[in-house]
Amino acid sequence: MTSSESSGTSQPRGGLRSDQFSGLMLLALALYVGWANLEYPIGTLQEPGPGYMPLLLSIFMGTTGLLIALWGLKSAPLSGLQWPEVMRAIVILIACAVATLALERIGYRLTVIALLVFFLGVLERRRPLPVALVSLGFGFASFYVVGDLLHVPLPRSPWGF
Amino acid sequence: MAETFQNLLLGFSVALQPSILVYAFVGCLIGTLVGMMPGLGPLAGISLLLPATFGLNPIIAIVLLSGVYYGAMYGGSTTSILMRIPGEAASVMTCVDGYAMTQNGRAGPALAIAAIGSFIAGTFGVIGLMLLAPTLAEFALRFGPPEYTALLLMGLFILAYMSGGSMLKTLAMAAFGLMLGMIGIDVMSGYTRFSHGLVELGDGVGIVPVAVGLFGVSEILLTAGAPTAPDVQRPKLRDLIPSREEFRLSAGPIARGSLLGFLIGIIPGSAHIISSFVSYGIERRLSKHPERFGQGAIEGVAGPESANNAAASGAFVPMMALGIPTSPVTAVMIAAIMVHGILPGPLLIQQQPELFWGFVASMYVGNVVLLILNLPMVGLFVNLLRIPYSYLYPCILCFCIVGTYSVSNSLMDVWILLAMGAIGYVLRKFGYDLAPVALGLVLAPMLELSLRQSLAMSAGDYAIFVTRPIAAVMFALGAALFVFSLKPLFGKGGDWRASVGLDSEQG
Amino acid sequence: MSTRFLIGVALALFALFAAAQEKFPSRPITMIVPFPPGGVADLTGRPIAAAMEKVLKQPIAPVNRSGAGGKVGYAATANSKPDGYTILIALSSVSIFPEVDNIFNLKPAYTLDQLVPIALISADPTILVVHPSLPARNAKEFIALAKSRPNEIAFSSSGLYGTLHVAMEMVIQSARVKLRHVPFAGGGPAVAALLGGHVAALSSGPAAAVAHLRSGKLRALASWGDKRLAAMPELPTWKELGYKDVEFYIWAGLLAPRGTPDAAIKALREAARSAVQDSEFKQVMARLETPINYLDAPEFQKFWERDAERLVRTVRRVGKIDAKK
Repeated sequence: MTSSESSGTSQPRGGLRSDQFSGLMLLALALYVGWANLEYPIGTLQEPGPGYMPLLLSIFMGTTGLLIALWGLKSAPLSGLQWPEVMRAIVILIACAVATLALERIGYRLTVIALLVFFLGVLERRRPLPVALVSLGFGFASFYVVGDLLHVPLPRSPWGF
Repeated sequence: MAETFQNLLLGFSVALQPSILVYAFVGCLIGTLVGMMPGLGPLAGISLLLPATFGLNPIIAIVLLSGVYYGAMYGGSTTSILMRIPGEAASVMTCVDGYAMTQNGRAGPALAIAAIGSFIAGTFGVIGLMLLAPTLAEFALRFGPPEYTALLLMGLFILAYMSGGSMLKTLAMAAFGLMLGMIGIDVMSGYTRFSHGLVELGDGVGIVPVAVGLFGVSEILLTAGAPTAPDVQRPKLRDLIPSREEFRLSAGPIARGSLLGFLIGIIPGSAHIISSFVSYGIERRLSKHPERFGQGAIEGVAGPESANNAAASGAFVPMMALGIPTSPVTAVMIAAIMVHGILPGPLLIQQQPELFWGFVASMYVGNVVLLILNLPMVGLFVNLLRIPYSYLYPCILCFCIVGTYSVSNSLMDVWILLAMGAIGYVLRKFGYDLAPVALGLVLAPMLELSLRQSLAMSAGDYAIFVTRPIAAVMFALGAALFVFSLKPLFGKGGDWRASVGLDSEQG
Repeated sequence: MSTRFLIGVALALFALFAAAQEKFPSRPITMIVPFPPGGVADLTGRPIAAAMEKVLKQPIAPVNRSGAGGKVGYAATANSKPDGYTILIALSSVSIFPEVDNIFNLKPAYTLDQLVPIALISADPTILVVHPSLPARNAKEFIALAKSRPNEIAFSSSGLYGTLHVAMEMVIQSARVKLRHVPFAGGGPAVAALLGGHVAALSSGPAAAVAHLRSGKLRALASWGDKRLAAMPELPTWKELGYKDVEFYIWAGLLAPRGTPDAAIKALREAARSAVQDSEFKQVMARLETPINYLDAPEFQKFWERDAERLVRTVRRVGKIDAKK
């Protein structure tokens, strides 16, 4: 919802302040909600409709966002924010998203093993043996506990594994 | 009184039978393990185990399930403290100061105080349940939609005390949480709001994926990519035991949390989730050093943990005394005894004394079992921190995914988890507190529904909020609280802008 | 005429043979329960699954796919692979959702003709329960009271367009009265609100109300059935009272996605037929105070069509609850 990655780009010092930026983002979100809310009847004070509370909230959030932006003059400059971990965070999120897509297609165990191998082997560059042990061990043990003991129907691969 | 005592003896004669004792123990153990899985909380725990109890006798079934329920509450606080992953809405507040204590190397005392606080609150709750169940249940029924609205509004005012950061940012985050709570089918009009055509969003956004994402996943994203890996902690035995000072600081919060939690817990419905938020707010307000909250204040662990366990016992009052499943957890428990042909209802206590008193006694037993189980395990749990972070975080992430998925076999929940992780990461970079989001999300659907229900009851007449005595008193109290929270803004001296907290040079 | 061709023919024959030989359940069957554990669908689905396992000699795993009042599970089944290995335990609400989607001009998540019946397991009419403070002693007085005080008597329900709401709405439409509707999120809170006297009436499942009736905290006035309830013979039906089109059941039945092979449907029907005779299953249902009301697929189909027709008509007349813009 809030744009994240683009904000890491450098801007001249004395430019946008971090609170100004985040406040404006909140304002934008509030405006979006207010717009999306047009679809639902507002109702009356006596009989609030489905759009009543979202409307109040978007007004409230827009106001706070605006105030944060207005009084954010003295906050740290946006360009001063450090994003040392952003690359890895994005990689982790993408890996998790791929795993989520794969979960119901290739089954729980294969997905988790692949995900762990990626994290430990590729991202953290651990030695192959511990990587193999941890990912296989975790994949099978967690399936046993959650799938077999707790009877959660965890997805299996088309090959029954 | 004598009668109660006699009944309790009957209860203990049931609960201390070896076979039942074993099940209480097994239940606590399973519950603790389930609760420790990120994303799996008490509701998930008992839902998953319910089918397994169909073959057991009703007393064993309910003893087992309540053991799981309690155990999962304890277990949830463990992951909150050690890894900042709340297993359920009630442990969100524990994450804040509990995890800060872990980072300060005080994980042991945090866990120990959480266990002791839970034990005291749980025992207090059972005593309350035992002595007051029938009386309180009648009173609790008088809580209709208008009273509920008043209660939830008071819950919102707690926001004012919840965070030490900027008040504007806290309000903005609460609004964000409340907005998330608007997603899904509107019970009053049938409209499906903001679901973008996704059927799975019909029930709205669950609190578990949001809380785990905002707190747990965002923490991993922040830490895993940091240029220097966090130090591996090697806790010494001396660091496991709370200091005298920590005990002294925790006593008050535990006592207040127990009372507060129990009172909120007996109200039918899901309002008991807010008990831990309210307790945190109160402790922060009462503290002489509110600035310590968020930095690892033991009171911020003791209060909410006690409140949430007392509320858990309180929630059994309407269930046992009236037989109404008013919250998801009690609905599952009632199903567990209904399949055995026992109709929960006002006559249950008279018709099935062994069941009721056995259940009460087993709750005492369960609390003791959990304390014995958990205190020695503090040492074991803390040693989890010895695992290098590069091995720990991938496993935690996988647990988060499988835990979130398991709750309702829904990939949508996993997507919500990941999205909330990303949002939480960005918001924290910009210096926003996340606890108000969780509170807002919990409150929004209940608050909106009860407000509109009240108006439907009175055909649009707002007088319904002041003509009903309980609601009127609560509104008056709420208004007083509100004025009180505004006071610092207009207090003598000092720029009010400073108190809104926007003037500081911090991100 | 190469050997390769011969092998090919042999393989093809073998495959045919194997296909013909493969008796229907050759692997575990999934039963989708569109409600959380402990709900009516769950409590009916699990025992029937256990009883059917004995006949089919393959495990039937109940999977709770709850969400949006059951819609998620219904849609998931309707759109699943029709091979007989996915079946659904559905409640009456299955007929309501497509119509509600129509009302809101949404693309329906599923349609009723995506599902075919296997067997009806139980069908229980709801009953009208009122708070003891309501002066009406019987159903006639209730209607008279509602007519003399239009829009003053409040009733709770399990949610707008929920089953308990639709049942009450039938009476409202048939008797031409006005009642105040206060929806709750689920049946439990709706009963609690009635017990607390915050609303005056509720159309409730008998099992959920019976304990409160016995203790005198609530009073029953009428039933929605075709004939009187065996457990409460003194309770008149709305039909007897002259409201011909008021008939409503909370039913639970097994459905499968359309396109499921006939052989599989047949095997499942057989299994359901013997499962309802199973002594353990009968015992569980008796404990839940839910009478078994078995109907085989053809009769179930007819029952379902009539029931869906009534529900859809009522929901359509309720229409959109549009607050004034």
